[in-house]
Amino acid sequence: METLYDIYRRRGYSRRDFLKSALLLSTALGLSSSMLTDVVRALETKPKPVVIWLEFQDCAGCTESFIRSTSLLPADVLLDYVSLEYHEILMAPSGFYAEESKREAMEKHRGKYVLIVEGSVSPDRGGAYCTVAGRSNLELLKEAAEGAGLIIAVGSCASWGGIPHAYPNPTGAIPVSEALRGRQVVNIPGCPPIGDVMVSVIAGYVLTGKSPELDSMGRPKTFYGQTVHDRCYRRPFYNAGRFASSFDDEGAKKGYCLYRLGCKGPVTRNACATIRWNGGISFPIQSGHPCFGCSEPDFWDRGMIYTPLSVVSGGFGLKEALAGVAVGTAVGVSVAYMNKKLRGGK
Amino acid sequence: MTDVAFYDFVRGPLLRFALFVFFLGIAYRFFRVLFLGLPPDYAKPKGNPYLMAVKKIVIKPTMGWTFNEIFSRRAINFIGGFLFHLGFIGLTFFVPAHALLWKEITGIPFPVLPNIVSDILAYAALGSLIALTMHRALNPVLKLLTGKDEYFANFLIAMILFTGLLATRWAGGGSYIWLLSLHMFLADLLILYIPFSRLSHFVYYFLSVGFMGWNAGKRGVSF
Repeated sequence: METLYDIYRRRGYSRRDFLKSALLLSTALGLSSSMLTDVVRALETKPKPVVIWLEFQDCAGCTESFIRSTSLLPADVLLDYVSLEYHEILMAPSGFYAEESKREAMEKHRGKYVLIVEGSVSPDRGGAYCTVAGRSNLELLKEAAEGAGLIIAVGSCASWGGIPHAYPNPTGAIPVSEALRGRQVVNIPGCPPIGDVMVSVIAGYVLTGKSPELDSMGRPKTFYGQTVHDRCYRRPFYNAGRFASSFDDEGAKKGYCLYRLGCKGPVTRNACATIRWNGGISFPIQSGHPCFGCSEPDFWDRGMIYTPLSVVSGGFGLKEALAGVAVGTAVGVSVAYMNKKLRGGK
Repeated sequence: MTDVAFYDFVRGPLLRFALFVFFLGIAYRFFRVLFLGLPPDYAKPKGNPYLMAVKKIVIKPTMGWTFNEIFSRRAINFIGGFLFHLGFIGLTFFVPAHALLWKEITGIPFPVLPNIVSDILAYAALGSLIALTMHRALNPVLKLLTGKDEYFANFLIAMILFTGLLATRWAGGGSYIWLLSLHMFLADLLILYIPFSRLSHFVYYFLSVGFMGWNAGKRGVSF
């Protein structure tokens, strides 16, 4: 039974490195500093989490993001720590052996394993649009969910239906929570979600034995409790009324707020502005691109990527305003004329 | 309904509908009043009616601005009314988010205010609106002239100002989108309500004051 501490030592890291990770982990999970000793003890004694990772209608971007989570745990430690018993992209076996190892893992760790689902589910036409080993995705999901201790939907596709769910939704894609009604599903939306958030939720389950505190839409409050705008480093420019008007104007070069270029930060809940990506290097707004709200439901169907938030979605310009004025004028003049007629021209 | 879905609804179909009703309603009411018509007056004008109409519109707002008039008799009306209108117009057109909306409608870029100026305008408008409403409720003459329409309009505008201020000052947290949506929803209601209420005075004001000046010019009297 290997623990996180054992993996650190085996990989040649010092105890100091291990304690740093424990501190980062407890900070990321929003635990109080007094709980640090409990976190360290748990990471020293509790066995590494067993994870079964299913992929349905997805692009594997969430997996890419997951394996690049390097802020909390070094990459080599992470892939040792999370015992990925089944992951179609990352595992070595394939075909019959892969399916067999999944079945064995589900039986051996029944009630304890973490089920991670990437991609949306498509129950239409008996699940014909997405099958693995000849079985429909809905069937595979229900089978794996039955013995799972924690179910996590990673990415916007698994959480909300995502791009497969976008109009006209040809495959009838639905989110995992809809396919597993009655079961608690932790949604970690984003396209892709932040790797460190995924790792924190898994590690948090190992530490506490339960799911994190969730909001009304099933997202961990610690990471999705605030909007990107709330913690954006460009927020002072928003407050001062300084905006970039194009991607290469003087304002953009000075790092002004990107609201005018369509930033969706004010209505997007995610931890991008605080945790950032690729070991805390950057996030979209920092690289000069407005947030387009990938972690909110139906972000693709909402369009308007480069339209400011306050503008009427669907458009309302001078033409529409004049059309309203023209109709009002015509009706007003007609009614006035008819009244005059009724009064005998007086 | 999720908060983002509600947000999309208030800034999409509802806002489009409200704006269309607003432009249609204002034009309708304007022309209905304009074509009410006057009985023909064959008397030769004693002055210049059109010049007096313009003069009345331009000069009238400052005509009562004498120290005694402002501070001795109608201080709340003058100061409160001025501050409220200044704040309301400033906030409606020059808060960045609103300015972008007006640019979309008119095609003309609007200058934007920094937050600190918007905040001062919002506090001024909200404070004076409360003072003006209390004045309406307590002053015996104004009380007789005030109906449900005024109280409803004042309440609606006060709520828009309050939720707008709260949204700007929001210190973080999940309810922000609901609050922002509430602010926009109330603004949609106000846009819808304007053509049906005395808030449409922003159009009639020029019509009625212009007419008073025109009449004075025709009779050759001062106003």
